[in-house]
Amino acid sequence: MPVVDVDPDELRRLTGHEEKDDDELKEDLFALGLEYEGETEAGEMQLEFGPDRLDRLSVEGVARSLRYQYGDDRGVYVPDTNDADWTIAVDESVPDERPYVTGAVVRGVDLDDDALDSLIQLQEKLHATMGRKRAKGAIGIHDLTMLKGEVPGGEGGPTITYRGVAPDGDRFVPLDADAEMTPADVLEDHPTGRTYASLVEEYDRYPAIYDEIGLFSFPPVINGRRTEVSTGSRELFVELTGTDQWTIDRMCNIVCYALDARGATIERVDVDYPDGTLSRPDFDVEEKTVDHAQIERMLGVDLDPETAVDLFERSGLDAESEASETPRKDGEAVDDAPAYEVSIPPYRVDVLHPYDLVDDVGRAYGFNELDPRYPDVATVGGRHDRSKLEDAARRSLVGLGFEDLLNFHMISEEENYDRMRVEPGTDAVGGGDPVTITEPYSEDYTMLRTWALPSLMMVLENNTHRAYPQDLAEIGLAAERDDDENTRVAEHRTVAAVLARHDATYEDAKARLAALCADFDADLRTPRTDHPAFIGGRVAEVVVDGDAVGVVGELHPEVLVEHDLELPVAAFELRLDALK
Amino acid sequence: MQLPESQVAVLNAASATEEQTIERLAEVTDLEPETVTGAVFDLRDDGLLAVEERVEETVELTEEGELYADDALPELRLYDAAVELGADEAAVPMGQVVGASGLEGPRVDIALSNFARKGYGSIDDGEVVADADADPEADAEARALEAIAAGDDVDVEPATLDRLESRGLVVRDEHTVRSVTLTDAGVTALMEGVEVAETVDRLTPELLTSGEWRDVEFTEYNVEADAPEIRGGRTHILRQTADRVKDVLVGMGFEEMEGPHADAEFWINDCLFMPQDHPARTHWDQFALDVPPMEDIPDELLERVADAHRNGVGADGDGYRSPWTEEVAREIDLRGHTTSLSMRYLSGFAQGELDPPQRFFSVEKVYRNDTLDPTHLLEFFQIEGWVMAEDLSVRDLMGTFEEFYNQFGITDLQFKPHYNPYTEPSFELFGHHPETGELIEIGNSGMFREEVLRPLGVDCDVMAWGLALERLLMLIYGFEDIRDVHGTLCDLELLRETEVLH
Repeated sequence: MPVVDVDPDELRRLTGHEEKDDDELKEDLFALGLEYEGETEAGEMQLEFGPDRLDRLSVEGVARSLRYQYGDDRGVYVPDTNDADWTIAVDESVPDERPYVTGAVVRGVDLDDDALDSLIQLQEKLHATMGRKRAKGAIGIHDLTMLKGEVPGGEGGPTITYRGVAPDGDRFVPLDADAEMTPADVLEDHPTGRTYASLVEEYDRYPAIYDEIGLFSFPPVINGRRTEVSTGSRELFVELTGTDQWTIDRMCNIVCYALDARGATIERVDVDYPDGTLSRPDFDVEEKTVDHAQIERMLGVDLDPETAVDLFERSGLDAESEASETPRKDGEAVDDAPAYEVSIPPYRVDVLHPYDLVDDVGRAYGFNELDPRYPDVATVGGRHDRSKLEDAARRSLVGLGFEDLLNFHMISEEENYDRMRVEPGTDAVGGGDPVTITEPYSEDYTMLRTWALPSLMMVLENNTHRAYPQDLAEIGLAAERDDDENTRVAEHRTVAAVLARHDATYEDAKARLAALCADFDADLRTPRTDHPAFIGGRVAEVVVDGDAVGVVGELHPEVLVEHDLELPVAAFELRLDALK
Repeated sequence: MQLPESQVAVLNAASATEEQTIERLAEVTDLEPETVTGAVFDLRDDGLLAVEERVEETVELTEEGELYADDALPELRLYDAAVELGADEAAVPMGQVVGASGLEGPRVDIALSNFARKGYGSIDDGEVVADADADPEADAEARALEAIAAGDDVDVEPATLDRLESRGLVVRDEHTVRSVTLTDAGVTALMEGVEVAETVDRLTPELLTSGEWRDVEFTEYNVEADAPEIRGGRTHILRQTADRVKDVLVGMGFEEMEGPHADAEFWINDCLFMPQDHPARTHWDQFALDVPPMEDIPDELLERVADAHRNGVGADGDGYRSPWTEEVAREIDLRGHTTSLSMRYLSGFAQGELDPPQRFFSVEKVYRNDTLDPTHLLEFFQIEGWVMAEDLSVRDLMGTFEEFYNQFGITDLQFKPHYNPYTEPSFELFGHHPETGELIEIGNSGMFREEVLRPLGVDCDVMAWGLALERLLMLIYGFEDIRDVHGTLCDLELLRETEVLH
């Protein structure tokens, strides 16, 4: 979940509530859904929240939400914008994989160190979330005064161009570098370039932005040094490229709102695509219809319409009441209950459905103000047959003196097969084909276990310093590859048990297996068999009610030594469903 | 007065004026020392004997110590051999001295190191020089060994004893010596006469069938003495916790769900309205399996889910601005949450269409690619529950969870508004730790979105919540490292000794 670092003093200043102490702020933020996680070395509050309200990824956005919460601001706010001077021309050479661009000009900014840090933080957090690590959208912020947009002797306003460039087609000095590099050099030699190389390295042409002087930005990888923003910058050019126009437009809006909150003026730019021109940033206000009944249903309380409108406005929304045609859920017509035409400000990225607006009303109302009630619906509870059987078998094993264990279903090939002397793809119990994890991150967990005895052997191995006897049992999942299954995985519950004691014999294991089977009125036979994990002549197939369902025997000395054990182990394993 | 036979014997052997040890009494009465000890304690408890205890140290020679006491310490043998060869006047090669001493194996090293330590001479460049002034007769360690062998160890210096002990030549042991005298009550009892009562040790079948048991007295046991340790089997504490949760939920009217651990992304994520480019859907967070895609997903359901992702649900609904493909939906992963089961049940795929009201739950394993640390495992149990009814509000959700957490001693729940792609509104549940009082997150909940429910064919309200069972366990038991409990690194002793909570 996103975490935003916020200086509490700056937050007080931006909300205009100098009187709030840190604890009050934390409480107010909690009610908004921002959880205080701790503080940074610099004393900033680290606030964690769900990745819906990405407009809160900076102190300016958090302050805006708090001002609405406190009732200091109401309704939709849209910053004024000046007419476009600059144009972003989109050239046909733009890579097909990343065709979209947007942007804005911001004038009259006054960036002190805090404001600059906040802007950089906002940019990075937007990259991490909405931008999907820059794959879907990436932001570049430039010092406008370093751009040269006028075509000498040309007509029209200043222009920058979004286009494609051959990997080694041009040179520029990227941020944090001293020499000119080609985009291909950047991907190979620049630390930031290496980090983001995978985003573009497959492209034929790399994305690039040019002004009259030349290449100054290589999105989504790195900006050029020429246009680097500093605390001295007073005018900014914000550009965003990406794979979806709406996404980068909204990211742009969030950045513009944050700068507007610092007193800057937003100036539109024209984005000139070959097939038409867009005016950006897109501050259009969207509308959705919310039924009053929907609000009451969700909150479980009666609300008069004035209160509802008030709550909308305190969420930074506008609500226009209108008569509703929508019947209630129970079919009863509700002519008197209104609906609201709700306006949504353009920094909101989370509103997909009227319900999302009802949630805003609930947050403004204060969910913790609601009286909990136990729902008055009667249902009959019960356990699943499989889990009842599992519990019954577990009780039997515990009654027989076994310590019940609980191990991971994921295991390594080495543990599951090699250390047990079992080959994959064989008929032996445990010899089923593995279900492997495509990209395992730990060599200890690369597949689902095909049987549970290896897990118990690992527990014995890790507990040789504990008192014996160690009589252990586990009932749990085992799985093997089976393409006839819809999931391609045949899952079953398995019952495994080991007796590790100085005098453990085949007979000890069989006696307990027989007792277990007797508990479930299952007919047990143990015809001799061979199994590589067990000593020849001291291992039998477990046949229950005529079906071969497992194995019982004394473990092979090689397996014991492999697991650092210095005493015999008798064991059995069978399918749980054999006891049904 | 009637007393058991052994007590009568001990009482008769004891004296009011002279202290006697247990061993001495055993000799006199011809009883086993253990029997005498038992009788002495019983008589003391009756006030007939006085027992005085003191701790004595005994020193005994080890096998090696006895050998040197009989023979001589290796360093002395080395010295004697060296002097024999004239090493007190001129250096003699070490090999010669060792050969002459008759020392072999590890004794050679022992001799060489102690030889130098005790100042019998020096060893340089493989040559031995013996100190002519050294006096082997005065060797404190050798004399101590002799004294101990003779049972006359009272005067041995503690430092010498320490040295012998560190050389492994003696073992020291502390034991309690009990001295017994008759009390006045004991003297009186003897004067009044003490008779032997017929006592039996074990109740035998013969005693029972013959009826003789009526005429015998049973030996008394020291019922306060420790009994040997035994262990029974026990259910794993995480299972016990799961069982508690299941009991509570069944009691609240919830029915248990069941379904596959390996499942299509469709059931795990797409039905939950998780956009396909959601960060939690990358291979960094979930375990993809190296198997072919799932074939059998109901076509209509697949289309409705795809449509919800692309276009949203309802007149005013919007879809995601994210790509959606069927190929991704059919890929098979280990489930990252058991909400995949909820989807299978709600859609009717698991056991046919459901009419409200319904309550369902599961307490089953889920798999997440988290970093393994004391509070995170790659696989853990998720408690999943949902309620389906015609008309549910946030208040019903709050009431249900208050009831549930109440059962585990967690009261005063707080609901933090939260965001999940699949629920709206969503709440993180916070509660106060029953022990520490700290406010901690104990679950995630919400009302399923219409984008989840409508494609599944559900036309009423469903509220749901999830919570890690391990979290509840750590909360209840106060464990600090979950790896001690769950998995092959578990500590059997911890599992054996943890108090059973219920």
